[in-house]
Amino acid sequence: MRAKYLLFVLCFSTSLFSDYQFETVLSGLDDAWSLEFLSEDEIIYTEMPGKLKIANLIDGSITQIKNTPKVQYSSQGGLSEVVLDPDFASNNIIYLSYSARNSDGKSTLYLMSAVLNKDSLENKKVIFEAKAPRRIPVHLGAKIAFLNDGTILLASGDGFDHREKAQTLDNHFGKIIRINKDGTIPSDNPFVNVENALPDIYSYGHRNQQGLIVTKTGEIYEHEHGPRGGDEMNLIEPSLNYGWPAITYGIDYSGAVISPFTEKEGMEQPLFHWTPSIAPSDMIFYEGDKYPELKNSFLVTALVSKDVKKVTFSQTGKDNQESLFSELNSRLRNIQASPNGFIYLLTDGPRGKLIKVLSE
Amino acid sequence: MRIAKYPFAVLSAALFTVMLMTPISSLSNLIWLASVDMPVGLISSLEVILFDFQRLGIALFGVIIIGFTVAFTIAGLISKYSSLGGKYLYAVAGSVAIGMALILMVELLFQTQLLGGNRTLIGKVLHWGAGFLGGYFYFKLISEEKNYTFIIRFLGIFYAYFLLGLVLNWVFTPIIAASDFGFVFSELTSEAQNALLRDFTSFFVATFLFSIFGVITLNPVWFFSAGLIYIGAGIFNLIAIYAHGTGFNQIFVGEFILGSWPIALGLVLYFKQKKTLD
Repeated sequence: MRAKYLLFVLCFSTSLFSDYQFETVLSGLDDAWSLEFLSEDEIIYTEMPGKLKIANLIDGSITQIKNTPKVQYSSQGGLSEVVLDPDFASNNIIYLSYSARNSDGKSTLYLMSAVLNKDSLENKKVIFEAKAPRRIPVHLGAKIAFLNDGTILLASGDGFDHREKAQTLDNHFGKIIRINKDGTIPSDNPFVNVENALPDIYSYGHRNQQGLIVTKTGEIYEHEHGPRGGDEMNLIEPSLNYGWPAITYGIDYSGAVISPFTEKEGMEQPLFHWTPSIAPSDMIFYEGDKYPELKNSFLVTALVSKDVKKVTFSQTGKDNQESLFSELNSRLRNIQASPNGFIYLLTDGPRGKLIKVLSE
Repeated sequence: MRIAKYPFAVLSAALFTVMLMTPISSLSNLIWLASVDMPVGLISSLEVILFDFQRLGIALFGVIIIGFTVAFTIAGLISKYSSLGGKYLYAVAGSVAIGMALILMVELLFQTQLLGGNRTLIGKVLHWGAGFLGGYFYFKLISEEKNYTFIIRFLGIFYAYFLLGLVLNWVFTPIIAASDFGFVFSELTSEAQNALLRDFTSFFVATFLFSIFGVITLNPVWFFSAGLIYIGAGIFNLIAIYAHGTGFNQIFVGEFILGSWPIALGLVLYFKQKKTLD
């Protein structure tokens, strides 16, 4: 009987024996979507309704930034990503992606640069407006990353109802965009001299990209939501076609076949795909020292599987995956490592939390 | 029977309309795939059309039933209390029901156009047309006297329609189908791979065909055959768990349901036919 009781306790107390402990640093966040560390103790984060805030992680004080862009907060749209300029320490410039109505009243994706001056944004400039108008703001992508040459990558999703346009180059549906910090187009972009192609396109054939990072060695990793199944992790190269929706490992939410094909010459295969879907929501490449077992691995947050996937690749390219932090049982929206290497997780939804992961 | 005729006529008309609607999405998708140089051929087209008929169709079936129930009830009342009536009233009601259902699915539920074939004007018109024909089909069904075989046939068809999903999985995407049953295909020997695909595909195709033959011939033996196979699967599932110590697999519940369903149809047919002979 005692043995059975002990077994029961062991089975239902896994969190007590977890390798990690969790500390809720902030709570009551309103649809928080992304964050960046200004210092070890201070973050700047977005809330989808259009709020940009700075939080002190020591005393919990929160400052709302004024003069933020007017966003269209609806469905999957709103104020999405915030990233700091690589030279933020000297220029205080940040970049924001968001959905808003264009001059025709349609919803689309925007990228803005602005100078963060204490509690206000100044010198705001819309440096990109996606030629991807849609009825409602869904499948926006909206992830931002900096290439090592200082140019900006922006993920622009397929707009759901416009998925076929991901295969044509005259629009920004289902594309990764590359622009300079001032919104001009780099002369070495792959489609600059291609007729009927938008010159800011870097790669195409994407669905709803929710993870976009550039490693120190310059490799670009992206993940994107598939429909039912077929969430993909891709290694992005300029000019390449990643296949959506002509090839896919998923089927439509309605059960319909999107494509009977999973591969075709001239279309890239993912590094791997998650089927069934996990709904990956963000990603970092962890290089800190606080959790030695996680060093040099990709950490992917997930909304559906409610965990973090630790992804590593063997020398043959085969992926190895491990599920982490599932004891939180929360839809995870964002992941960041602090300057000192601590991992922070942002939970999804109207009463979100910022959780610090502590290693035992 | 007179009362049962109406709900089963709605169900039959809904299934008929599903059969007309799903190829609209399938074909619009196939046309686009061909336009971007994908190697669309006969087999891949058949795969898309059949899968859509089963998987997309099951989702649509429920929506259409609700739409048709409301539309045909109103049409019935109009027909009863006015001089309007006849086949075109129900046909128009069916068309309006589909049009409304497709609009409401976007505006109230998903906010996006889940039905690929409904993204173009021509697709919309074709969907309304499918609803029109569905309404006309409903009128034909309620205009004639029906006996119990109408219900048996509908339930047999619906059973086969349900099994079609499994059949298609095993015929077109057997490795995915095998993984749903816990097999890691690549880890099996080639002999085991062959046995797995051969036996499972045959199992589902045979039971599907038995139910179709039962619907066509109304010979209860076909329904009993399909039912016995699934009841057997359920019994041997339990024997495997409790006598041979395999893992617990609650799929036996589904197997007993899939077995009982055609056996019930077979029993009704058997006793009705016996009574007629007596």
